[in-house]
Amino acid sequence: MTKPPALEARGITKAFPGVLANDHVDLRLAQGEIHALLGENGAGKTTLMNILYGLYQQDEGQVFIGGQEVDIHSPNEAIAHGIGMVHQHFMLIPVMTVAENIMLGVEPRTARSRWLGFIGQLDYRRVESRVRELSSQHSLEVDPTALVQTLSVGAQQRVEIMKALYRQARILILDEPTAVLTPQESEELFQIMRSLAERGTSIIFITHKLKEVFAVADRITVMRNGQVVGSTTPEQATEQQLASMMVGREVLLRLSKAPAHPKEAVLSLENLSVNDDRGQKAVREVTLRVRAGEILGIAGVQGNGQTELVEALTGLRPIALGQVRIGEKTLKETSPRQIMEQGVGHIPEDRQKRGLVLRYSVEDNLVLCTYYQRPFAKGLIIQHEAIEENARRLIEEFDIRTPSARTPAGTLSGGNQQKVIVARELSRPIKLLIAAQPTRGLDVGSIEFLHRRLIEQRDAGYAVLLVSAELDEILALSDRIAVMYKGEIIDTLPAEQATREEIGLLMAGVGGHKTSPARQPVEVN
Amino acid sequence: MSNHNDFEKTSPWGLFLQQLIVPALAVVTALVLGAIIMWATGNDPLVAYRGLLDGAFLKKRALSETLVATTPYIFLGLAVAFGFKCGLFNIGAEGQFYIGQLAAVWVGYNVHGLPAILHLTLALGAAIVAGAIWSGIPGYLRAKLGSHEVINTIMMNYIAIYLADYLVGLSGPMRDPASSAPQTPAVDASAQLPRLSELPALMASPVTRFTAALLVAVFAFIVVRWWWQQRGNSLRGWRNPWVVGLISAGGLGLITYVFLSSLNRIGGPFTDRADRLHLGFFLAILVAVLVWWILEKTTLGFEVRTVGASPEAAEYAGISIVRNFVLAMAISGGLAGLAGGVEVLGLERNVKSFFSAGYGFDSIAVALLANNNPLGIIPAGFLFGALRNGADLMELRAGVSKQIILVVQALVLMFIAAPVIIRKLYRIRAIREEGVQLTRGWG
Repeated sequence: MTKPPALEARGITKAFPGVLANDHVDLRLAQGEIHALLGENGAGKTTLMNILYGLYQQDEGQVFIGGQEVDIHSPNEAIAHGIGMVHQHFMLIPVMTVAENIMLGVEPRTARSRWLGFIGQLDYRRVESRVRELSSQHSLEVDPTALVQTLSVGAQQRVEIMKALYRQARILILDEPTAVLTPQESEELFQIMRSLAERGTSIIFITHKLKEVFAVADRITVMRNGQVVGSTTPEQATEQQLASMMVGREVLLRLSKAPAHPKEAVLSLENLSVNDDRGQKAVREVTLRVRAGEILGIAGVQGNGQTELVEALTGLRPIALGQVRIGEKTLKETSPRQIMEQGVGHIPEDRQKRGLVLRYSVEDNLVLCTYYQRPFAKGLIIQHEAIEENARRLIEEFDIRTPSARTPAGTLSGGNQQKVIVARELSRPIKLLIAAQPTRGLDVGSIEFLHRRLIEQRDAGYAVLLVSAELDEILALSDRIAVMYKGEIIDTLPAEQATREEIGLLMAGVGGHKTSPARQPVEVN
Repeated sequence: MSNHNDFEKTSPWGLFLQQLIVPALAVVTALVLGAIIMWATGNDPLVAYRGLLDGAFLKKRALSETLVATTPYIFLGLAVAFGFKCGLFNIGAEGQFYIGQLAAVWVGYNVHGLPAILHLTLALGAAIVAGAIWSGIPGYLRAKLGSHEVINTIMMNYIAIYLADYLVGLSGPMRDPASSAPQTPAVDASAQLPRLSELPALMASPVTRFTAALLVAVFAFIVVRWWWQQRGNSLRGWRNPWVVGLISAGGLGLITYVFLSSLNRIGGPFTDRADRLHLGFFLAILVAVLVWWILEKTTLGFEVRTVGASPEAAEYAGISIVRNFVLAMAISGGLAGLAGGVEVLGLERNVKSFFSAGYGFDSIAVALLANNNPLGIIPAGFLFGALRNGADLMELRAGVSKQIILVVQALVLMFIAAPVIIRKLYRIRAIREEGVQLTRGWG
């Protein structure tokens, strides 16, 4: 015990009206350590990080950096203490170059400009050479002259890390950094993290994915309900243990699932093409079939046309070319409502914007798609009692945790919001369920619930189309896996033959029966 | 899970009171600030507010005149609020109000020989349709082409105002050739919406009285039966909604008949020939309740509100945004047109050139003050009516410019628009509510 810890938090307590977000939290980050902070949404990870980064003030407790007690009142002070943070959503300006983004807020001026006072000339050359220097030091590949908007997501993340290093961060906080990456990109990030740690940078790595913790962390701290429930190392812990620590009870990490017994095709796509908002082809000649009693998983990194595909199937976006058949009927200029009435349920990708009216009560959200049908309305007049009764039943059946049926949906936790949507869609007479990124941002407990529910639906003879960027989810649930890359389905594999590596490569556009050399991933470095 | 249990703890009544706190304090604070301004400019605020009070309520016929001014505020406030509920900003209430007046007066003096009830309905109907068309055009342009309704309703205001000036003006086709002033002919007696002072003469015959009482009874039956069913009271025995409805209908019909028979003995506004309070005020309250009912209790209202609260979610749920944009704008304009019709048929009885009164623009403030709640628009409209009506006497008594009332109105609005000021000032906690986003950017 020679060196003091890089950062230590003692007894951090932070209360928000009605919530104790951090309850006497202790955290010790050793010099050059990768410390995983594990916990479900709402466990208090982000609050703790925001306190360390100066965005909030703790009510109680102390923070030490290198053994010295510090008071951090703003991000600027945090940066001055050598703390850098990479947010889950990047804080980059797309139309500026990497160098411009990196120097934003700490712009250096050329020597001559000192004579001119505050109207100085920006010293791009100094930034660029410093970036190149850091680049080679930490094996962070970043081209300082590239425009941020031309970079891949992985490269943008490297710019964010570079931003922190440029400000001489010795402590790096990474908030859910892998949420937007392909498996291969995540692996690259882990290598960068290891190399940074070797050179003495201490890293706090926030995540809720257990596999990643084992891949990269030196130490693990688990939080639940604002408290630290334990601290351990990857050697001592098992996935099962960590999962139960996070959730507070035993969880099934792998769902047992019987073999599928697919029957007739419920959804058939024939050479379907769809344009995005700018009129560019986002979905290219996709041909697919989803049969009753099976789950077809569409894997792919976000932004490869999945959103547009789902929107076209649900009537939210026009079909440019090709054919969609649901059951026996061919869709043509069909409204969302007509498709719904054909027996299609839809768990939309953006649950807060599309899936729910956040200001509406839970009970109103539960009839959002059926409010005009009996028994919820007779003619024009809404039957409030039937809506209440429906809410009572579904809240019970789907275990929606809400203070009351009249609570605005926007005040529920993410998992419970998703339960409201699932309950609503499954309570309608449907034969096809389209689930787009159904567990994004949800905690382990809710994910388990949703996965079980999807498999139950499959076993009950529904056709399920699952679109997800989470490879583990696709592998755990699907009976067949289609991989989407740049708007095309580049391969479809039976789940039992698919390996993680193979799908990961396909997601990056490598391999597949439809790939040509021209479609290799483009990355500007 | 969630710790926001406030919804459980607060009763609906408590929630209702909570919603009233900010507007009420906004009004009080604005009046206090208005007093400070008057005092700072060398006037006596106490004399001024005493004048305002007398002019608005206490003087002879003051309350009637306040209610006369309240009437268009309620209709127009409802019009603006209905648009807001769908996420649309109808700035064109003023223009639709004009168009409604023109349509009503045209039917009023051109159509002859109809029974009063039919002629009146036809004239009011014409006002509604004209207003609905006037606002439906911007609504359609917004829905189909995405051109912003704020711009188009403003433009439609200009068209309406100058069209009215032309039609009624010196060489206009609607000008009354028999009059030297630029104004239309007066509407036929059969198209007049009665003033209270005209009621005793109209209700002289027992047959008319009976018909009126019958109408009230039928209406009461429908409303009470529905309400009783909604409340979910025990449906057996005498608590059966049919029975309750019939009892209430009979009772109210009887009361109406007796009331109409004794108008002369009641006196007050019923016998004062100079009192201008007309049935439009009572119609406005009925319409406010009707609008509330449509918004809260019908699928049509659910769709309108959903589009207003989240167009993306509405689209997902299969609710047509195009249809609801057009519909909400048309209903909004219809209400504004009705305001014009009521104003002409109940109060003015003809349309004069340059008749602008600015009601349409003030009503945006009325809707905001009421937080777009149709029932809240009644007190909000009343406040604006009182301020408008009391301002003259305030000016006369205290020598302050009556424009100070506009300052007070503006302050009220400012506090409503920035409730944080009021909350900080009086240390009230924010409550979550189903508010409405006012605008969503341009196009």
